[in-house]
Formats: sequence, C-alpha cells, structure tokens
Amino acid sequence: MNRQSKFIYRFLASLLFLNIISNSSFAADGEALFKANCSNCHKPDQDYTGPALKGAVARQPNAEWIYKWMKNPAGMIAADPYAKNLYDKWKPTVMTAFGQLKKEEVDAILKYANDYVAPVAKGPVGGEQPDGENNSLLFGILTLALAIIAFILLQVNSNLRKLTDEKEGVLRGEPVPFYRNKTYLMTAVFLLFGMGGYLTINAAMGLGRSKHYQPQQPIYYSHKVHAGINQINCLYCHGGAQDSKQGSIPSVNVCMNCHMAIKEYKGEQIVREDGSQVNGTAEIQKLYSYTGWNPEKKEYNPDNNKDGIPDGAHPIEWIRIHNLPDHVYFNHSQHIKVGKQNCQTCHGNIQEMPEVYQFSDLSMGWCINCHRESKVDFYNKDDSTGNKFYSIYEKFHTDIKNHKLDSVTVEKIGGTECQKCHY
Amino acid sequence: MLKLKRQGVMKKITIIVLIIIGCTTAFVSCDSKRLPGKIYMPDMAYSRAYESYALRDSTKFTMDISKLGGNMIFYNNMSVQGTLKRGELFPYTLPNDSVGYAMSASVKNPINSMTKNQMAETQRLFNINCAICHGDKGVGNGPISTGGYVGGVANLTQPAYIAMADGTMFHSIHYGKGVMGSYASQLTKQQRWMIVKYIRTLQPKADTTTGTAAKDTSAIVKK
Repeated sequence: MNRQSKFIYRFLASLLFLNIISNSSFAADGEALFKANCSNCHKPDQDYTGPALKGAVARQPNAEWIYKWMKNPAGMIAADPYAKNLYDKWKPTVMTAFGQLKKEEVDAILKYANDYVAPVAKGPVGGEQPDGENNSLLFGILTLALAIIAFILLQVNSNLRKLTDEKEGVLRGEPVPFYRNKTYLMTAVFLLFGMGGYLTINAAMGLGRSKHYQPQQPIYYSHKVHAGINQINCLYCHGGAQDSKQGSIPSVNVCMNCHMAIKEYKGEQIVREDGSQVNGTAEIQKLYSYTGWNPEKKEYNPDNNKDGIPDGAHPIEWIRIHNLPDHVYFNHSQHIKVGKQNCQTCHGNIQEMPEVYQFSDLSMGWCINCHRESKVDFYNKDDSTGNKFYSIYEKFHTDIKNHKLDSVTVEKIGGTECQKCHY
Repeated sequence: MLKLKRQGVMKKITIIVLIIIGCTTAFVSCDSKRLPGKIYMPDMAYSRAYESYALRDSTKFTMDISKLGGNMIFYNNMSVQGTLKRGELFPYTLPNDSVGYAMSASVKNPINSMTKNQMAETQRLFNINCAICHGDKGVGNGPISTGGYVGGVANLTQPAYIAMADGTMFHSIHYGKGVMGSYASQLTKQQRWMIVKYIRTLQPKADTTTGTAAKDTSAIVKK
C-alpha cells in the first residue's frame, strides 16, 4: 500500500468516525434527556402515569405553553384552563417542575417522542433448552434390558447343553427348573436383600426430614417471578432474616409496596408442573382480598370495627415448609449477618423456583458438614479486616503467623460442639 | 407328595412376590411432595411451645388487659405505650397529611456524619430496599421501574429532590408517597435517616448551575 492510498484511507476512516460520533450524539440527546427526566412517568406513545408525549406539541393551546408548564406545573393548574383540564384527568399526580431544562432540550425531548417508533417485539429466540435429562431412568432401563438378555442367554446355554448331552448320550438326571435352581434363588435373595435394605435404610433416614416437601400455598406466589426475573432482593421481603432468629414471612403491607401499582400479571405464562396454567392476575386479586385493598378506588376498605385492620382483611395462612425440631436452635441472623452466608446455600436456587420446596434435608450431618467446610470471617490483625470478635483467638493468630494454619473454619471455633445448637 | 410340596413352595413364592410389590407401591405412593412426610416423634419435631406465626389460641390468650384473670393469659407483642427501646430514636409524630408533609421540612436529620462502615451498610440497605425502583444510582432505573410495572418512580438526582429537606424525605419513606408504600416496617428510624443521608451522596452537588443535574443523569443512562 503506498503512502497516498494510506492517507486517503485514514482520511475516510476519520470522516466516518466523526460522522458516527456527531450523528449519535445529536440523536441521543432527546432520547437520553427523555430517559433521564421523563421516562419514569411518561411513555412516548402510550399513556402511563402521565399522558403520552407523542403529539403533545400538536395538542397544546399555544406554542409557548409547554415551556411555561415545564417551569411551574402547579402554578399553571391554578391559572391556565388547559392545565386545569390536564390535572383533572391525571390527578392526584402533579408533574414535577423541570425548570433546569432549556427550551432546546424540551424541544429535543418532544422531537424524540414524536419520532418514536415502538420497537418490534422480538419472538422467542429458539426453543427453550430441555432440562438435563434424568439419566437414572435411562440407566435403569439399560440394566433391565441387559439382565433380561443375560437371563435369555443362560436359558439358551442350558438348552444347548441339554441338546449336546442328549446327542452324546450323557445322562444328567432331570433338569432343575429355574425357580428351584439354587444359584438363581441365592442371587435373587441377595438382590432382594440388598435392594430392600437400601430402600428401608433410605426411608428410615428420610423419616422426619421433609426434603423436597412442596406444599400448595394459599396464593400461588412465584419466587421465580419476584426474586428471579424482577431481581427483588431476598432481604427486601424477608428482612427479619438479617435481624432475628426467624427468616420472617413478610406482612402484606410489604407486598402492597409494589402491588398497589401492579394490578395484573403481564409476564410469561406460568405453568404448573401438571401442565395447568396459573392466572397471575387472579392471584394478585387474592392478595387484595387478604389485605382489604380496593383496587378500583385505590384505597383500603374502611375500618368499621376500629381495630386498625381494613374490613375483610385477614392473614394469609402460609404453610410452613422448613421445620426444625424444638431441640435444635437455629438463628438466621447469625448465619446471614455474621456468617455472611447466602440464602441459596441452604434454601437452594429459590430465584428459580416457581413453587418453593425444601431443598436441603436439614439433617444434623448436613449442618455439621457445612460447619466443617465453611470459613469464618477471621480477623486479620495486620490490616484489621474481618470480624473483630475473632481477635480474641490468640492461638489461631499465632498459628496463622507461623503458617501452621491458613484459615479458620466454624468447627475450629467450636461450631461442631453439641451445645452450640442443642441446649 | 413331591407335587404337594412343590405347590407349597409356589404358594410361598407368590406370597413373597406380592409382599414385595405391596411394599414397593407403598414406598412409591407415600412419597408425595405435597405432604411433609412421616416422622419418628411428632412431639419432638413439632414444638409444643407457641412458635412464631403460629395461630394463638383465642380461648386462652388475650391482647386485652382487662380480660386478664381466670383462664386467660395476657399476651401482647407490642411494646408498652410511651416506652422506647434502648438506643432507639424518638418516635416520629408528624401526621400523614398535607400539614405534616409541609411541617416535615423543619425536622432535622439526627445523623450528622457517617463512618465508612456505616456508609457501606447504608448502601447495602439502599440496594436492598430502594434500588429495586430507584436504581442503585438513585436515577429511577431499578428493575421494577424499567420493567414498566410501576410508573412515576422518582429520579432522586433531580433538582426537586436535591432541594427537598431531609425531614420531608424521611416523611415520605416513613408514610409512603404516591405509589410508594411505607418503609417503616422494613427499616428502623435510624436506618431511614441513614438512607436519607446516603441519597445525598448520590445527588450531584446542589451549588452547581442548573441543568448540570440533567446532564449527569443522562451520562449515567447512556452508560
């Protein structure tokens, strides 16, 4: 490549670059301003908390109206008839004043809204990947098939032997039928004993541990929709888990923080495991009946009994899934706040469960195992990080200093002592 | 004779096979995930004492102190009127109406400064309780807001909120405002004041010229 063409290429490239930059910055201006200032209440093409901005310029009574409105909406409502009409339509919400926006910026926003074309909804990309197939069934079928083949081969073998015996004139006495053949019987007995023992022991260990317990709750509350898709933190609703012994079930006012505004379910269709469909909107209606909320009037029912509870409101009787016997002490805050454990360590991937089930068996062996493996947030004397409580463990500090120990597990600080949990 | 004996053996085998099939069906059919399953000792597994959230027997327990006596046990899980928990801030007494809202501006934030650890803790609380709507930067782009579920989420970095008094902000968190519910049950008074203080750190400095706030937020959105 000679110098000249190199120069031309560079020139063209820089032109293109400049072009892209200038174009995007001009086009983005209205959009960015809209997203930063307006999008929480307005949509370009649909009515939302406030009216759709598309055509706002055409609707306004005079060209200067919108600038005045942006400066002082409350004052306009009192003085201007068009503003008064707007307020009557959208009350009780009054628009926030945006005095800081310049005229050009307002124009850019309105231009963006007028030119806005709704993006075409994308269809689902590809089919959903099937869950990891259950291999145990496949292996079971294979084993059974192999066993049948082995049995047939053995029978063929004995028949062939009988034939050759007859041919050679060897007398072996009457053949024993397979159900009286001692080898077969012994094999069967061993197999049965093994299988029976395995099943019995498993069932006995499962007694009192309700792993996989998935009761039907009074409201089909999907943790997948709330904690998974909509990314609500576990501690938003179960805030007691960081402050108290209990994981704490949220009271309905916490539900109403969002569900005062969210009246219907518009997400992906929820399907139960048996294939029946869940009507999300009907489930939200159930919540309203429990809280005594009137979604039409947007207020709670009147409290005629004067007991502080709206009429018709009653507690949701959730069914308890995780139960520890009375002789075990378990404290949520100790594990979450001090131990810095994730909820998922014990409860599994709750954010992917449409209906919650018990993920862990909550057995003592399971507790102890975690206490042996988990490291505590040990205090580091050099940079004073970690939990300062552990500064009193002198021996471990010297051990760490002498490189005898690299970390301290819960077991080391007495986490497997009986009376830690049983007292 | 032999035939009879053989018949007997066959009978035994049939019985054994039937028992095995019966046991297997019993094992399989009992394993319903809608039931909690069997337990050795119900009186050890299920508490005799009243556990949290358990329904209280209204024939034995009363929340009305005047009914105390006889078989009735007085139990009220509310704190005694006019008492405060040690270290607790004084109760917020302004009423939830326009008068209270207007008066709230004069309420001072009892927290003047926060240490690094307190700041980190407040950020954690903000991200749990507020960021689902207001976004972790406070510009109103949390998942619930951008998902289009709740409209009218405040962009806390706007001049209107920079100018808002700490007390008014606290008032709104305490009682709720517009579509926002009350957070008094989720955050203590101390935590609510700390969050007000934290919101101030998210806001651009108030003394800059107007319009800067909008530019700052648009920069965040563009990212």
